[in-house]
Amino acid sequence: MSVPGETILTVEDLKTYFYTEGGVVQAVDGISFDVRAGEIVGVVGESGAGKSVATTSILRLLDDAGEIVSGEITYRDTTIVGFEEAEEGGELVPRDDMLTKSEMRKEIRGNEIAIIFQDPMESLNPVYKVGSQIREFIELNRDLEGEDAKEEAIEMLREVGIPEPENRYDDYPHQFSGGMRQRVLIAMALGCRPSLIIADEPTTALDVTVEGQILDLVDDLRDEYGTSFIWVTHDMGVVAEICDRVNVMYLGQIVEQGPVDDIFHDTQHPYTESLLASIPRPDKTVEDLNPIAGVMPQAMNPPRGCRFHTRCPDAREACRDIEPRFVDVGEAPSHRAACLKHDDVGYWDSVPIENESRDGVVADEEPPAGGQETEAGR
Amino acid sequence: MTLLRYTAWRLAQAVPVLIGILFITFLLVNAVPGDPVRLMVEGQEVDQATIDMLEARYGLDKPFHERFANYVLGVMQGDLGHSFHRGMPVTELIMIRAPPTLMLVLSAFVFALATSIPLGVIAAKRRNEPADHVSRLLAIFGVSTPSFWIGIMLIIVFAVWLGLLPSGRLVYPWRDPGFYGLNNRLELWYHSIRHLILPMIALGTLQMATLMRIERSSMVETLQKDYVRLARAYGVPERTILRKHAFRSAQLPVITIVGLNLSTALGGAVLIETVFEINGMGRLIVQAIAQHDYQVVLGVTVVLAFIFLIGVIITDISYAYVDPRVSYGDED
Amino acid sequence: MATTEGQLDETAEGTGEARVGWRHTIDQVKRDTTARWGMYVIVIVTFVALFSALDANLNRLTLGHISNYAIGQALPLLEHPERIPPPGEIYRNEPPAFAEGGSWEHPMGTDHEGRDYLTRIVYGTRISIAVGFVATFIGLVGGVAIGAVAGYYGGWVDDALMRFVETIYAIPALVLVIVFTVFVSGGRPDVIYAVVGVGLASIPVFSRIIRSRVLSVREMDYIEAARAAGVKDRNIIMRHVIPNSFAPVLVYATLQVGVAVLIVAGLSFLGYGAQPPTPDWGQMLNYSHGLMHSSPWHSIWPGVAIMITVAGFNFFGDGLQDALDPRIEN
Repeated sequence: MSVPGETILTVEDLKTYFYTEGGVVQAVDGISFDVRAGEIVGVVGESGAGKSVATTSILRLLDDAGEIVSGEITYRDTTIVGFEEAEEGGELVPRDDMLTKSEMRKEIRGNEIAIIFQDPMESLNPVYKVGSQIREFIELNRDLEGEDAKEEAIEMLREVGIPEPENRYDDYPHQFSGGMRQRVLIAMALGCRPSLIIADEPTTALDVTVEGQILDLVDDLRDEYGTSFIWVTHDMGVVAEICDRVNVMYLGQIVEQGPVDDIFHDTQHPYTESLLASIPRPDKTVEDLNPIAGVMPQAMNPPRGCRFHTRCPDAREACRDIEPRFVDVGEAPSHRAACLKHDDVGYWDSVPIENESRDGVVADEEPPAGGQETEAGR
Repeated sequence: MTLLRYTAWRLAQAVPVLIGILFITFLLVNAVPGDPVRLMVEGQEVDQATIDMLEARYGLDKPFHERFANYVLGVMQGDLGHSFHRGMPVTELIMIRAPPTLMLVLSAFVFALATSIPLGVIAAKRRNEPADHVSRLLAIFGVSTPSFWIGIMLIIVFAVWLGLLPSGRLVYPWRDPGFYGLNNRLELWYHSIRHLILPMIALGTLQMATLMRIERSSMVETLQKDYVRLARAYGVPERTILRKHAFRSAQLPVITIVGLNLSTALGGAVLIETVFEINGMGRLIVQAIAQHDYQVVLGVTVVLAFIFLIGVIITDISYAYVDPRVSYGDED
Repeated sequence: MATTEGQLDETAEGTGEARVGWRHTIDQVKRDTTARWGMYVIVIVTFVALFSALDANLNRLTLGHISNYAIGQALPLLEHPERIPPPGEIYRNEPPAFAEGGSWEHPMGTDHEGRDYLTRIVYGTRISIAVGFVATFIGLVGGVAIGAVAGYYGGWVDDALMRFVETIYAIPALVLVIVFTVFVSGGRPDVIYAVVGVGLASIPVFSRIIRSRVLSVREMDYIEAARAAGVKDRNIIMRHVIPNSFAPVLVYATLQVGVAVLIVAGLSFLGYGAQPPTPDWGQMLNYSHGLMHSSPWHSIWPGVAIMITVAGFNFFGDGLQDALDPRIEN
């Protein structure tokens, strides 16, 4: 299908805003990442960070209030989202090469990029048989009709590990357990043979054992079909288990991005550190768990400066005013982070501030040995 | 098979309610202070012997529980008593009067569904747009206007002023065309439809308004479901989503409301039959009350409640037919 | 305050609920144009009803033959009864002002006995509003009591009460009310019996709403805690369960006022509601039914009055429902 390692999806400086009665919500505010063939890319963060909005933007499935205001999304050679400045007024208007709504529907959705939602209980239509639902999507997205499509649907059910798929084909969704339903949804996605599957917290609603089985299944299927995944989650444990590369999102922005090993072992952003500290692990007791302090601020009015400064354990005066740039950090070439620690703007000279992360107790931290990182990203 | 068992179960459940209906109606009708026979013969010259004779004939000389037991036994054999005023068995009387009422109520629901479903779907699709606001206004005025007044207005406009449609009485398509002086079935159907239009609209407007709102809110809710978003994400065209993916499950609340609203419609038929001079059960009960013909009042009330119960069971079964979760047992 | 993801959601919900109080509800209703109009109609109609009910002089107006005068003419006449012309002197059937032969003296025309239609319509408000509120109150009290007990105790109590409620519901409300009115009054129906009848007939819906709310409230932690602490059942129901079920009941009560007005109008139309000479919209339609051909305006006004009054309650109830239902807010 695709050459392994080839970049299939590029998202550049994507901004998606929601226009509500209370004001403009900057749900996604300038994120960039890419996905290569056959890899699993994680998008991780607390709920409300804008992960789901980012992924639904890729399929252009936002509801009425949401709008992609700027940025580029390119899938292979086609432009899913693209803007140019209007000749008069200089406003951003959609570019001519951007896919129309019906092209999006016919050429991208399902057959190139498929999606799996969080809640398997709600994702299947309760009044239609499971098999016919898979078959409908296969018929719509592939050149298979009638009996062939049915056979393919049964084959897919077998592929995702559903016992007796011939019989289960005629069952209704309520006759499946949560984990089995999520398998059905994976079968549905794979059945359309997309190059990319967006999995929006697909295991959050499942218990841990079932989650493990699903993750193993996805890993196998990725190898077998060469499908890429964008894996949205709030669980760093899942990221560690399945992802090749990771994007950490906070309040509509990506704060750290890089290969999974580097994110875990050479963490460069305090928010990522906090997320890692909150993973439950067998070698730690509940008391050792270190949840992130405070509540994520409203995306309607993000804090000035670094958006994380209200909760960051390492926040200093400089963080209040200066917006950190997204720069190359650490050892791996594609490892980047947006933190003033890596920016030569006087972080280390300013005073630590009090915020939700501590009660007046301030830890003193010295600049890392070797001084500032050099930024290649300028 | 499962659907059949479900049906049997629902029928069995209806039995205690049916007995309850008999009891409450019987209690109400026998609550007359003084005694019903005196009420019956009010204004007529009657001697004590006649009263005693009448009391004995209707079993009124017996204690309440005995009379009730006799009545229930009679009902179980299809005997609803005897009409004092009309001198014929109540069952026979109702057999004559039931078809017009059923024809009226059924046509009102057909009218209501045929209009409310498309209007509700459009309102849901264009949520918060002018079409939606207009439909909300229409729906609220629809449930706020007395059906019998709509009937009167329709008569004034379409029968009195414009002379387009007949103002009352029904023509029954199951009768012989010759009965109405018509030549063939086609003409008979033509006339029965013409006669049915105004009362049907008068009785159906309230149902239309209610169902339109239910259809709209149910459709709005369904369109936000994950399985609809999923269909969109797999490139299903919007029209197919409306017609197939959202439509079927969105009808579930509508089905329930149709069943429950049958009660309102049967009550409304009493008024509409009076306005349009239709000789159905509704007009019968009004006449019977005026004539103090209490066995008829009792009989019609029981039959109306019975029709309602049957209607609810039918809608429950259709619900189970649409929603596999009901007939195939509970979730998980 | 340290949170993980799950807790975060909970806290957000907790603070949200605190904000969704009465003030929030009122704000929502104010913002909704239709609900606001509904509120205006209710206030005006209720005011008119109270005004005409409290004033004994005005009461006489509607009953006696002097109601053939417009309000403005009739009031001074009450102070000088000697100027009131004898009955039968000036009766005539006059069309409304906009029609040929009408005059602004009687903007809506006069009825078959020559009484000013506008005056009759205004006084009809009293019966309708009283009927609506009183009947709804009866239904509410009865329904809340039955629903709360059934939902709270469950088991056979629940079964028995719910079967009873289903039974009442199975008989079409209008038929139930007619039978109740006629037979309980011993063949002398009056609006009082009608009101009680409509109240009883509306018990089923109220009790169903309350019961389902109670079933969900009953499982909540603080009810469990109260029970464990030995608080009496009756107190738990009165202090915790009922107040917690209030919102949907309030919405339904608003809508039910409209339903009650409609049922009693139907009843009066059939001749079993308010009895003449008390002016009542349904009863006026009963009279006018026979005059459809000769004086159709008789049929127009009472219907319009019923429609506007009931629509007022329905608009308000609809807006209230939106305001109280957090699902619709987004």
